[in-house]
Amino acid sequence: MKKIVVPNDLAKAKKPERMILEEIEACGYCENATFAIKLALEEAMTNAFRHGNKCDPSKQITIQYEITPECVEIEIRDEGEGFQPDVVPDPTLPENIDRPHGRGIMLMRSYLDEVKYCKTGNSVRLVMRRK
Amino acid sequence: MPTHPPITDSPFSIDVDRRDDAAVVRLVGSCTMDVAGQLGECVKGLAGEKLRVLVLELSALDFIESTGLGNIVAGYLRIRRHRGEVRMVSPPQPILNLLEITRLTQLFPIHNTVEEALAP
Repeated sequence: MKKIVVPNDLAKAKKPERMILEEIEACGYCENATFAIKLALEEAMTNAFRHGNKCDPSKQITIQYEITPECVEIEIRDEGEGFQPDVVPDPTLPENIDRPHGRGIMLMRSYLDEVKYCKTGNSVRLVMRRK
Repeated sequence: MPTHPPITDSPFSIDVDRRDDAAVVRLVGSCTMDVAGQLGECVKGLAGEKLRVLVLELSALDFIESTGLGNIVAGYLRIRRHRGEVRMVSPPQPILNLLEITRLTQLFPIHNTVEEALAP
């Protein structure tokens, strides 16, 4: 897997996003797949920046990825204490629909084939298979 | 009308057009994680002006993520306090898909034109 480490800064996290999207396009994935990966990368890196690394500029985000004609696999790790994704309320339930936060994980799961957090909750693995 | 986001983000801009007790906000380009705060500041400011309706014209928006969506919801909550509404106009299909998946279409009516969205 390729590995990129960036400072905990959303503007700087755009560089690995662009690199990954360029590889996906070069590999012949369709526009819907590019949209899905772009959205998932933004959600995962925002979570790493804000909830994992608590906006601390001294921390880092590590991105590892492998792109083949059959599958895109990305792992994003922060330096935070982790969390339990299962306790995040379902943002589509009527009682949560007007909450400003909490849609990122649901969106990743909606657009990708696999979204799996490690046991410590500070790393997420994103997988999309070619349809 | 954009159908898919470019790999390189297109510049994000916000154009505000005040009309009596309403505001029309046109979003252009890619509302990505690093610029979503601009949308939050804009919506927050307008939401404090006791508008009857805030219209978001989305036909040239090619990307938005959950922070941007959340900023719109936060503005909606403020506007709702004085019985105002947030309405949307012409989201491209990928943006409409996002609104449907998140069920935000239950909060924000979708209209075909700005004039239709401004109607009482």
